Amino acid sequence: MPTVTFDKATRIYPGGTKPAVDALDLDIADGEFLVLVGPSGCGKSTSLRMLAGLEDVNGGAIRIGDRDVTHLPPKDRNIAMVFQNYALYPHMTVADNMGFALKIAGVNKAEIRRKVEEAGKILDLTEYLDRKPKALSGGQRQRVAMGRAIVREPQVFLMDEPLSNLDAKLRVQTRTQIASLQRRLGITTVYVTHDQVEAMTMGDRVAVLKDGLLQQVDTPRNMYDRPANLFVAGFIGSPAMNLVEVPLADGGVKFGESVIPVSRTAVDEAAAAGDRTVTIGVRPEHLDLVGEGDALAKDGGKGLAVTVNVVEELGADGYVYGTAKVGDESKDLVVRVSGRAVPQKGEVLHVVPRSGETHVFSTSSGARLSD
Amino acid sequence: MEHGKYRIITLFLAAPLTLYGVFVLSPFAQAFYISLTSWTGFTAAQPFVGLANYRRLASDPGFWKALEHNALLLVAVPLVTIALGLFFASTLNVGASAGTVKGVRGAGPYQKLFFLPHILPAVITAVLWQFLYNPQLGPINSALDAVGLGSLKATWLGDPAVALWSLAAIMVWTGVGFYVVLFSAAMQSIPRDIYEAADLDGSSRFQTMWRITLPLLRETVQVAWIYLGIAALDAFALFEVLLPDGGPDNSTNVVAQYLYQAAFQNGQFGYASAIGVVLCLLTLLMAAATFGLSRRETIEF
Repeated sequence: MPTVTFDKATRIYPGGTKPAVDALDLDIADGEFLVLVGPSGCGKSTSLRMLAGLEDVNGGAIRIGDRDVTHLPPKDRNIAMVFQNYALYPHMTVADNMGFALKIAGVNKAEIRRKVEEAGKILDLTEYLDRKPKALSGGQRQRVAMGRAIVREPQVFLMDEPLSNLDAKLRVQTRTQIASLQRRLGITTVYVTHDQVEAMTMGDRVAVLKDGLLQQVDTPRNMYDRPANLFVAGFIGSPAMNLVEVPLADGGVKFGESVIPVSRTAVDEAAAAGDRTVTIGVRPEHLDLVGEGDALAKDGGKGLAVTVNVVEELGADGYVYGTAKVGDESKDLVVRVSGRAVPQKGEVLHVVPRSGETHVFSTSSGARLSD
Repeated sequence: MEHGKYRIITLFLAAPLTLYGVFVLSPFAQAFYISLTSWTGFTAAQPFVGLANYRRLASDPGFWKALEHNALLLVAVPLVTIALGLFFASTLNVGASAGTVKGVRGAGPYQKLFFLPHILPAVITAVLWQFLYNPQLGPINSALDAVGLGSLKATWLGDPAVALWSLAAIMVWTGVGFYVVLFSAAMQSIPRDIYEAADLDGSSRFQTMWRITLPLLRETVQVAWIYLGIAALDAFALFEVLLPDGGPDNSTNVVAQYLYQAAFQNGQFGYASAIGVVLCLLTLLMAAATFGLSRRETIEF
């Protein structure tokens, strides 16, 4: 049963003080497609390489199935990896590239040929089998790299940002192909990317890392609906969630002119931590426009006034980047509007967060306070 | 300043081209002309004799013997130097931990040590090895005695059977360091993830070296072969300092020495020029053959 387990795996680079990967605890189920995502330097590639055996593990353990592979060399782990720059052997043809591992393993030529042709058919590479990598386009090279991994029939696939070197359109196309290929083959896959869109669309589960620490691991839906902390809230979703620090008020928080009701427990938790403010998160699509003169909330406020700075029209939607005065400060907010009714630069909009779609985070610790 | 551009270019090119023409091309042409005369080198008279020198060359046993020695050097020296260079470069570069290409501990000082012989002037090398090879006082024979391998002792420069190989060994010793550095640099320019991919594919250190590193080094090895081939054909200083008389039983005379003897001992500049021209043509032929034999697509990463 090829599950993958990171058991408090730690990696500290020699001479460094702070761990690149800090006691990572991650359980990946058999056949699952797990995406490791995070900003540059968060430790996602390092974690992947620890799993591959290309980095030493300084603490904890890594298991594939029931086997402890922490100190095994890469070739004994029964894994295959797709590198960011493909790492194809430039002096060999595509067929030789894909068959290299099998040749090393001593498989006979006919069998190698059969497997290579099979993988070539899955990946649509049949007419390129006799070409050298330099005669291939980026997308084709990427498929060869995947073919090289597939042919080995490993227990785990590792992919290190395989789509970053492709152009935007090809990226969208290839990511569907990779996702469907993984579903068809059913091999446990660990996929590293910095692109949260790839993470959300491809993964069965997504693990967000920051500075070597695991922030949250959950399905894309849950990650989106209930981010566990400020960082995940701001990282997942594009454009990013609006995060505004607001003072606590009676029965809720003071959001501009209005008071948004917030659960008693959340307020109590924040007060217990000694905060007088909390951070409210609202996604751009959950800020509703209100007309002038509408009565809202208990004290009849008119929502938050947002002065429009920039408008991005994307066809189906429009995103309004504006400034609002919250309390004493000016904050930049993003509001999604319908693509048919975009406001002009300089206009003032009034927005109010949709009830039930606000997230409350502790200002001091960043942790989620609402339910 | 479009219209003045070509004038500037010509102006700047004129000086180096003139220098090149006067000091490199012109002597070539002159040598070729002199080879068609029987100039003694001491008088001004240069009587034209056409291709007589070349005809004499074709049937001169001394020349052919010298050429034979050069041919042996041409085969042995590049082969051994490149093999040793690759071996040492690989031990210095393919590190212990999985998939990484970094030097083993202490690689830095080793590289400097390997390179040291290369910076010695040829004459110093010759004098040094003259002492090393000394049958009674030299360290080599003494060391063999000390470890009980006294039966392997030889008069390194006095025995016709070993003299040429003793000198070839010196040439290898001088050259290896440079090629260790050259091959190290070439190995380090191979992207690291190719080694990692090979590691993941299950390739052992030796298999990676044989199937990945060496093929990717092909062009560098080709360059090295040509350089060493030229060195083998042009060998002179070492031989002239250690065995100026052509060695025991004329077993180490090389073409460059034969040329030197013809010119400065026998006063036959015309003949010597003919030898020089032939040597030049042979070297060009060798270089062309090496390029032609290994003509394949360039490798791109």
